[in-house]
Amino acid sequence: MPNSNSKVVLAPPPAEEQSGGEVKSSARKMIRVALISITLVCVWLTVRFPFQAESGLEYLLNGPNSVNPQTLHLRGEFVESNLGSTDDAGGGVTVRMIAEQYLFVPQCVVVPAGVPIRFRITSADVVHKLTISGTEDQIKAVPGYVVETRLQFPRAGVYEMPCHEFCGPGHYTMRSRLIAVPPEAFRNLSREARRDCALQ
Amino acid sequence: MLYSRGLRRIGSAVLTVAIVVMISGSALLLGSDAAEPPVRIPSNVAWTATTIAKASSGNPLRGLIIARRCDRCHGREGFSSSPAVPNLAAMDRLVVWKQLDDFRSGKRSSPVMQPIANSLSEQDTADVAAYYWMMPIAPDPMDDRAFPQPLPDPKHEAVAVRLITAGDGSRGLPPCQACHGPIGLVTGAPSLTTQNAPYLLEQIEAFASGRRANDINLRMRSIATQLTEEERQALSESYGAGLAPSAGPPAR
Repeated sequence: MPNSNSKVVLAPPPAEEQSGGEVKSSARKMIRVALISITLVCVWLTVRFPFQAESGLEYLLNGPNSVNPQTLHLRGEFVESNLGSTDDAGGGVTVRMIAEQYLFVPQCVVVPAGVPIRFRITSADVVHKLTISGTEDQIKAVPGYVVETRLQFPRAGVYEMPCHEFCGPGHYTMRSRLIAVPPEAFRNLSREARRDCALQ
Repeated sequence: MLYSRGLRRIGSAVLTVAIVVMISGSALLLGSDAAEPPVRIPSNVAWTATTIAKASSGNPLRGLIIARRCDRCHGREGFSSSPAVPNLAAMDRLVVWKQLDDFRSGKRSSPVMQPIANSLSEQDTADVAAYYWMMPIAPDPMDDRAFPQPLPDPKHEAVAVRLITAGDGSRGLPPCQACHGPIGLVTGAPSLTTQNAPYLLEQIEAFASGRRANDINLRMRSIATQLTEEERQALSESYGAGLAPSAGPPAR
C-alpha cells in the first residue's frame, strides 16, 4: 500500500507538467488560428478586390442584387464597357441595360432569336419600365436594385421597347429598340455591332 | 487535454466557416460581375450626397478673385467675347465643378483647360463654380458678349424648337429641355439657354465622334450620334441665337 501510494505521489509531477505545457501550446495554436481567421474575415469584409463589384461588408449590407445608382459608371457590372449583349461563360447571352432619365442605354441591342436571354436592368435615377412591343413582357427598372428576367424571342425582327412608367418631362420619347437576329448571324457580329444598332 | 482539444476544434471550425463564407461570397460576386477586361470610366465624378455637398460648398467671394484668371476667355461676368468659348454666367455650380474635375483627371481633354484645372484645388474649384453660379444673365452694356449670335438660316428654327420642346419619339430622342432647362434639370446637365452656337456645335460633334466622352452613363453620346448634321447645326444655332423657349436661369 505505501509502495503504491508513493508511486502515485511520485508519478504525477511529470504528467502534470506535460499536460500543462500541452494546454499552453494548444491555446497558443488556437489563438493563432483565431487571429488568422479574424484577419481573413476582416480582409474579405473591407477590401474590394479588382474582380469584385463591392467589398464583403457592402455585399452583406446590400444583398446580391443591390447596386448604388449614383456610381454605376465607376465600378461593377454596369460600367459602360459592359453594357449591351454579352456572351456568358455558360454559353448563354446576357443583356445589361441602364434606364435613366430619359434614355435606355444602350439604346439598341441585338440578341439571338429563339434562345433564352438573361436581362439584367437597373435604373440610375427613378423607376422606369421597359415594355417590349408584340409581347406581354415588361421589365421594371428600379434604382438601387438589379432586376433580372429571362426572355425568349421566338421570331427574328425588330421589337420596340418604350418606357411604361411616367418618369419625368422627357418620358414620352423614352424608348429603345431590340433586334432579334438568327443565332448564326448573332455569333458573327462584333461586340460593337451588337450595341450600336440605333441608327439602322 | 479534453479542454484543449475542444478549443482546437472550435478554432478550426471558425476557420472553416470563415473560408467557406469568403469563397462563396467571392464566387457570388464573381458570378454577378462578368466585366470585360478594359473597363472605361467616363468620369470620376459620381453624384453622391458627399460630392454634391462638396461641389456646393464654394465661397463666391473667394471665387471672384480666382475667376480673374478666367476673364480673358470667359469674360468678366461669365459671357465670352468669343463665340467658340462657353458662357459660364448663371451656370449650375455642379456643372462647372464636374467639368473642372474632368479636365483635372483627363476625362475631358483640352490643351487650354487641363493645365488651368490642374492648378486649382478642390476648394478653388467649388469657389469658382459658386462665383459663376451667382452671375446674372441680364444684358450688360459694359461687357462685349458674343451672345446672342444671329441665326444664319431661319428654316433651322422650326427644326430646333421641335427637338428642344418635343424631341423625337421615333428615334428615342428626348426633348433637350427635359434635362437642359428650363422645364427640367438633371444633376450635372448644363443650362443651354444662353450658350454660344459654335461652342455647342463643337461639343455635339465631339460627343457624336467620341472625342468627348465624359458624360455619365452614355447620355449625350447616345443622343448626339443620332442627330443628323442639319439637326446639330439647327440646335446649336438656335440656342446660340437665344431662341430656346423662355430663356433664363433654371428655376430652383
